[in-house]
This record gives sequence, C-alpha cells and structure tokens, in this order.
Amino acid sequence: MLHIKCPHCGMRSQNEFSYGGDATVKRPALNKEVTDQEWDNFVYNRVSPRGKHLELWQHLSGCRQWIKVERDTATHEIFNTYKTNEEIA
Amino acid sequence: MSSLSALNNIHVKGQFGDYEGKDDKNLLSISESTNLLIVQIVQYKSSNLSSDNMQIDGLNLRDNPLLVSSNDSTRILWNGPRNWLLVSKKKDILNEIEQKFNDNEFAVTDISHSKAIIEIEGKVAKEILKKGCPFNFGELEKNQCLNSTYNGMSVTIDMLNDDPDKFRIFGLRSFGESLYHSIIDASLEFGYIAK
Repeated sequence: MLHIKCPHCGMRSQNEFSYGGDATVKRPALNKEVTDQEWDNFVYNRVSPRGKHLELWQHLSGCRQWIKVERDTATHEIFNTYKTNEEIA
Repeated sequence: MSSLSALNNIHVKGQFGDYEGKDDKNLLSISESTNLLIVQIVQYKSSNLSSDNMQIDGLNLRDNPLLVSSNDSTRILWNGPRNWLLVSKKKDILNEIEQKFNDNEFAVTDISHSKAIIEIEGKVAKEILKKGCPFNFGELEKNQCLNSTYNGMSVTIDMLNDDPDKFRIFGLRSFGESLYHSIIDASLEFGYIAK
C-alpha cells in the first residue's frame, strides 16, 4: 500500500485518496481557436511514461482537496507532493 | 415533534464480548452521542477575510491541520483548509453563527441530523480504531481530529481525552448501522459496556 503525504493533512494511506490523472495536461486557452487534434490531445490522448510522472490525486476521505503528486510509475516511489496552486520548480 | 437518534433502534445497552472477569472501570465503553448541534462552516475560496479573528462561543476558527478548538460545550474541528465542523451542546449557537458569518464569505450548513455519532472510551480505544482505519493513531493526541475511513466508510474522528482515551466517531447517518456494527465487532475481543 502506498502512503501519500497530503500537503494539508500529512502522511496518509492511499485508501483515502482517489487518482485524478495526468497533472501536466493543460486546457487550451479560452476563446482560442483550437484544432481537432489539439482538443483530442487535451481530452483523450495521454502519454504513459515509465519513471517520474506528475499526477493529480484527491484526498477524498480526508480534507477533500486536490493535490499534485510526483511519483515514479515504475517503482511507485513518491518524491514530492504539492498543493494545486503551488508552483513546481 | 420528537426525533429519533441515528442509532436509536440499533444501540443495545449491556455488557458484551469478553468482559467477564474484567473490572468494569477498565472496560471499554461505547455510547451514542445525541442532541448535538453539528454545523459545517466553509469559507469560500473567493473570500479574503481572515478567519483567525472569527469567534464562536469564545473559540477562534483556526486553519491548523488536525486542530480542535474546544471549551466545555463546543468543539470546532478542522476539516480541511478553510473548512470546519462545529459540534456543540448549545443549540442556540446556530443563531450566533448565522449573524456573524456573512453569506458571501461562508457557507454554513446545519448537518445535526445527518450524522451518527459513536463515543468510545477506554485504554484500548485506539486499538478499536486501528482495526478499521489506516491512520497512524500513535501520533494522535488529545484535541486533535482527522477525516479518514473506517472499514471503507468515511468518518471524522475527534479525540476528546487521553486519560483514558476517548473518541467521538462521526459517520454519515445512512452508514450509522454499518459503522456501529464495525465498531462493536472490533470491540468484542476486549469486552465492552454499551451505555
């Protein structure tokens, strides 16, 4: 079982969290002309990297906040967690 | 109009489990807390007010993880960033909250009737919680609280005392029966008094 350090509540079991997908996907800017390909990339197309990956998780059974988690998809090691509004260096 | 508590038809008083030969004073006790005012207070993201200066029943709203501000009648539990759960024996506090908390800054919801509340007290109380909840209870101290799960059910756990350990477990009313049975199943091996 994974343990995830919620930036609001502290170290908690993965049971309390819900996975929310890739945290690097950015919505095309509002009112900008977008091609079908750009929209497909935003809505459907995802990479499946091996190694470090930035993910969204929600602390559903805790503080109910969305957080970002930097996790290795191969080893499941968690390097860092961030609040959603936190800038990542 | 009379109201029935969430566990009115489920909570049976008496001694159960492996209680024989044990001192009643040291036995785990399980009871239902009733007639409490429970209010959820959420400060909107758009609000720029400092919640630290807001007071209810002489207690400040403090945005500190796990913290419970308390006096004899009222406890304010930290439920998340800018999110609190107020639990009080004083029902008239609701008027004070509605007057002090502006609709444009805070969402105030009376959820008194939507929770089942179980109180457990005794030296082994943490052992009961550990059986169903993944939180590290070794770290939890008096006047701290947490949101987590107990056998998959969302719960809020408030540590009222540490001599002996005393906890209040809040679950959704609709899960009250399942939660109650989970707690008493976990308690049977220690023996318990249902009060």
